[in-house]
Amino acid sequence: MPIEVILPKVDMDMDDGIITEWKVAPGDRVRQGQILFDIETNKSVMEVESPASGVIRDLAPITGEPVAVGTVVGWIDADAEAGASSAAAAERTRTTSPSAAKADIDHPTSSPEPAASVEAASVAPSDSIRATPLARRAARMLDVNLADVAGSGPAGRIVEKDVAAHAGPAPKSAVASADRLVPFNPVRRIVAQRLAESARSAPHFFVSAHIEMSGLQAALRHPGGQQSPDRARPSMTVALAYLASRVLALHPLLNASIEGEAVRLHPGVNIGVAIDDQGDLFVPVLRDASTHTLYDLAREFARLRAAVRARQIVPDDMRGGTFTISNLGMYGVDAFTAIINPPESAILAIGRTTDTPVGRDGRVVLRPMATFTLSSDHRIVDGVTAARFIADLREAIEHPEGLS
Amino acid sequence: MAIAPGNRTTAAQAPERPELAALGDDALRVALSRMHLIRKFEETAEASYMRGLIHGTMHLSIGQEASAVGATLELARDDYILSTHRGHGHCIAKGADPARMFAEFFGKENGYCRGRGGSMHIADIEGGNLGANGIVAGGLPIAVGVGMSIKAQKQHRVCMVFFGDGAANEGAFHESLNMASIWRLPIVFVCENNKYGMSMDIARAMAVANVADRAPAYAMPGIAIDGNDLPAVVAAARPAIELARRGGGPTLLECKTYRLRGHSKSDRNLYRSKEEIEAWRDKDAIRRLERELIAHGRFAEAELLAIEQAAQRTIDDALEFAKASPDPDPAQLTRDVYAD
Amino acid sequence: MPTELVVPEAGTRELSYAEAIREGLAQAMQADERVFLFGEDVGVYGGAFGVSGDLFHKFGPERVIDTPISELGIAGAAVGAAITGMKPVLELQFSDFVTLAMEQIVNQAAKIHFMFGGKATVPMVVRLPGGSGTGAAAQHSQSLEAWFAHVPGLKVVQPSTPHDAKGLLLAAIDDPNPVLIFEHKLLYKTKGPVPEEAYRVPIGKAAVRRAGRDLTIVGSSIMAIRAVAAAARLAGENIDAEVIDLRSLRPIDLTTIAASVRKTHRLLIVYEGVKIMGIGAEISAMIAESDAFDFLDAPIARLGGADVPLPYNPVLEKAAVPQEDDIVAAARRLVREGRA
Repeated sequence: MPIEVILPKVDMDMDDGIITEWKVAPGDRVRQGQILFDIETNKSVMEVESPASGVIRDLAPITGEPVAVGTVVGWIDADAEAGASSAAAAERTRTTSPSAAKADIDHPTSSPEPAASVEAASVAPSDSIRATPLARRAARMLDVNLADVAGSGPAGRIVEKDVAAHAGPAPKSAVASADRLVPFNPVRRIVAQRLAESARSAPHFFVSAHIEMSGLQAALRHPGGQQSPDRARPSMTVALAYLASRVLALHPLLNASIEGEAVRLHPGVNIGVAIDDQGDLFVPVLRDASTHTLYDLAREFARLRAAVRARQIVPDDMRGGTFTISNLGMYGVDAFTAIINPPESAILAIGRTTDTPVGRDGRVVLRPMATFTLSSDHRIVDGVTAARFIADLREAIEHPEGLS
Repeated sequence: MAIAPGNRTTAAQAPERPELAALGDDALRVALSRMHLIRKFEETAEASYMRGLIHGTMHLSIGQEASAVGATLELARDDYILSTHRGHGHCIAKGADPARMFAEFFGKENGYCRGRGGSMHIADIEGGNLGANGIVAGGLPIAVGVGMSIKAQKQHRVCMVFFGDGAANEGAFHESLNMASIWRLPIVFVCENNKYGMSMDIARAMAVANVADRAPAYAMPGIAIDGNDLPAVVAAARPAIELARRGGGPTLLECKTYRLRGHSKSDRNLYRSKEEIEAWRDKDAIRRLERELIAHGRFAEAELLAIEQAAQRTIDDALEFAKASPDPDPAQLTRDVYAD
Repeated sequence: MPTELVVPEAGTRELSYAEAIREGLAQAMQADERVFLFGEDVGVYGGAFGVSGDLFHKFGPERVIDTPISELGIAGAAVGAAITGMKPVLELQFSDFVTLAMEQIVNQAAKIHFMFGGKATVPMVVRLPGGSGTGAAAQHSQSLEAWFAHVPGLKVVQPSTPHDAKGLLLAAIDDPNPVLIFEHKLLYKTKGPVPEEAYRVPIGKAAVRRAGRDLTIVGSSIMAIRAVAAAARLAGENIDAEVIDLRSLRPIDLTTIAASVRKTHRLLIVYEGVKIMGIGAEISAMIAESDAFDFLDAPIARLGGADVPLPYNPVLEKAAVPQEDDIVAAARRLVREGRA
């Protein structure tokens, strides 16, 4: 009996999604749990797994148009004849070797070899792919198609070294060998699309300021105010997010989104903080940042960062941002201009802090200075608006009274 | 018959029996107040249960008030008790606050056990009640440990452990009485024999006629008394408490009593007759004591009524407190599994 | 008292596992008069396995107490003593006899702190000699620790070395929760370095006995010892095994195991308890649920006790639990063939 493949709801507030890519072709034998296609929602691309094993057909075409949640986008004929008999044969070999199974329990040294080899013989070669979790991970990272790899493990299971061997030695020689084409992974695809859109449609202009960091550095070393209960010292990035959130509360146009020919002003300040993890860009959001203490923000940021590292960050943690900050200072960048993260109206790029000669009271002194560059969408933000924001930000950073 | 309040009239009055004479007016007021509190608490709990306000089940001790109050009347606050699954009476008798008890039955956060224990596991640790126990005879070995602890810390406390007739057939009973005896522990074992385990008549379950008959097997004094006669219970408990406190070892007290309600809320009383239940109702411990006190001119009816009404008010307030109390937060599900 | 992981310095004197426990008991009793040892034959006789030795003569009959054969009673006594301010250490002569004490350990000790809303604590320790290899047969040779690792409110530890036997005992005595220590009979005579001062081995922290790259072998108690020996042999075959000694079953150190599996990609769990429904099943599931799953390059393998009551005949007895040869063969199969 055929089984429906539907467009599932994978996100809150999701009514529809766009199929961006089919990973299988009509007529392919698929396994329950195997990835069938990617769908794109507002914020991310999600992989959709097969609900059953069998042969897939009648795949919905890729149009780029949204499809309602619950729409049937394919059909799976569960276990066609050839599949059924091989599965049954495998079952028979398992159940007719009780002595082998018992031996396994009583004498761990004996192996259930007879069952496995019969199993391997009765399963058609084009059947589902056996591979260890590590081998799958390696295949993802090395961009190897498991179907092309010969497995050396029991029952033809692909193990990590099989994938590594298939991928071949890394090109280390000085002479470049042939080009490698690496398709976008889901995260990269989203980032590329959105930033291209942003660069295309938002007229960016940039306002910079060199800001003295000594006050903030001192405040973070010796926090006055309430002690953080978990003794986590907030990082410079979190402290800047905290200060920026309070300044943004006074500059609503920088905490806004353009909608057609109107400006949507947001009541809360949700600051996205750009994070790089293994080459992928994530922007988790510190919600209502202007109402939380510095230590609350530090704690929340630590949680988000850990989730990114574990690749367990969820779309909810990255939605609803109203402003973004990006700090490349730790990579030695002096200054840069960032592309606005749509649908926000501005983004703050932060460079590194270095001791720089500045004039104070008629003398030249060395002070720890950092360059902050604000990119703003000129459709809703004018020069003076941006300038006032930067001025208030400078004031907040250079005089961080009672950081708490 | 009108009697002036607080007046000991002269007219033909039989002399008070010694058990009653040994009890001062204040002690009797406390005893009566507690018995009324227990009775009304149990009746109110029952009514709340029938209205669907209480989860699970309850084991009511209506009819057994004199045993609980009499045995504990002369204990000090820092003496310990251990109780049974039918332990509401012991809990109140040891001085617990009915409001926090109701709150516990309603599963509320400010119940004695933060709603985690319920009726069968009610405890008032600060008040010396080391807990009701959902396991028959569960408290008996624990009492042995409490006795060892009192001796080791050279305290002068007593541990009174309650259990039922059914518990006297558990292995734990025999192990505990034996150890309490060989080590001369400061324990008073109080068996409330209400004739039935759940449905099994004690006569069919036990090889001897009285639980107290087993005391000599463990080389300790044993005494069986009318558990519905408050002064008799106090009189029997007094020497047992004193013996324990001065290091003389344990005693086994058997209070013969009766529970007017079924074992639990699901008991349909198929194992006993209505006549039997009615006969015991007439021996009601509270009314009996009040009649005796009036007959001997110890108290006037008006004062006795006032005690009863005060108890009713306390219980009414306690119920309101419980209904208004907050529920526990499910996010706190796993708190207190381990102590820090 | 140092509470971090203490690695004995070179030149530390050696004690046997039994002597180390005895020294720990003596130091604990010396330091805190609330600590006492009791159980069957622990006093005059010096303990069935000689662990308590001369403690009776050093500390007297009030601190080292011989009890009647009443496992349920003495387990309950430990509970009662613990909730009223003492720190009892109960020795159950064979871990198999814990079956008689289950009521007090599982229904009372484990649950009192929770059921009473955090109001009472049960700081008791139960020491249980377990395991097979002495020809004591089915009722005196079991490894039942998994049963207790399944109970919220209990802590369960298994020292494998004399150093850890003393350190875990002192940590257990210090812990406000009920802690069960499963000692292994075959380990009592093994010797190892034991620092003279009092120290604690933290409960809930595993020890990496040998670092390696090709597979992770996780075991506890005597299996950790056999795993280390197996690893030495495997090194000769160019298989570099990382050996983790669990030391604690509840709480269990999943972090250390997962980190190791992420590194080595293969996991072999070795335990003496019956294989099915045991700690190996739990650790396998925990790893499969953790992010270490994506780093597995072979199925998770388990070596556990055979599905049979421990036989009397010595050859059968050995065949019923994993031996060093079995660990070597299983590791080889896992690494070379990718097979569990």
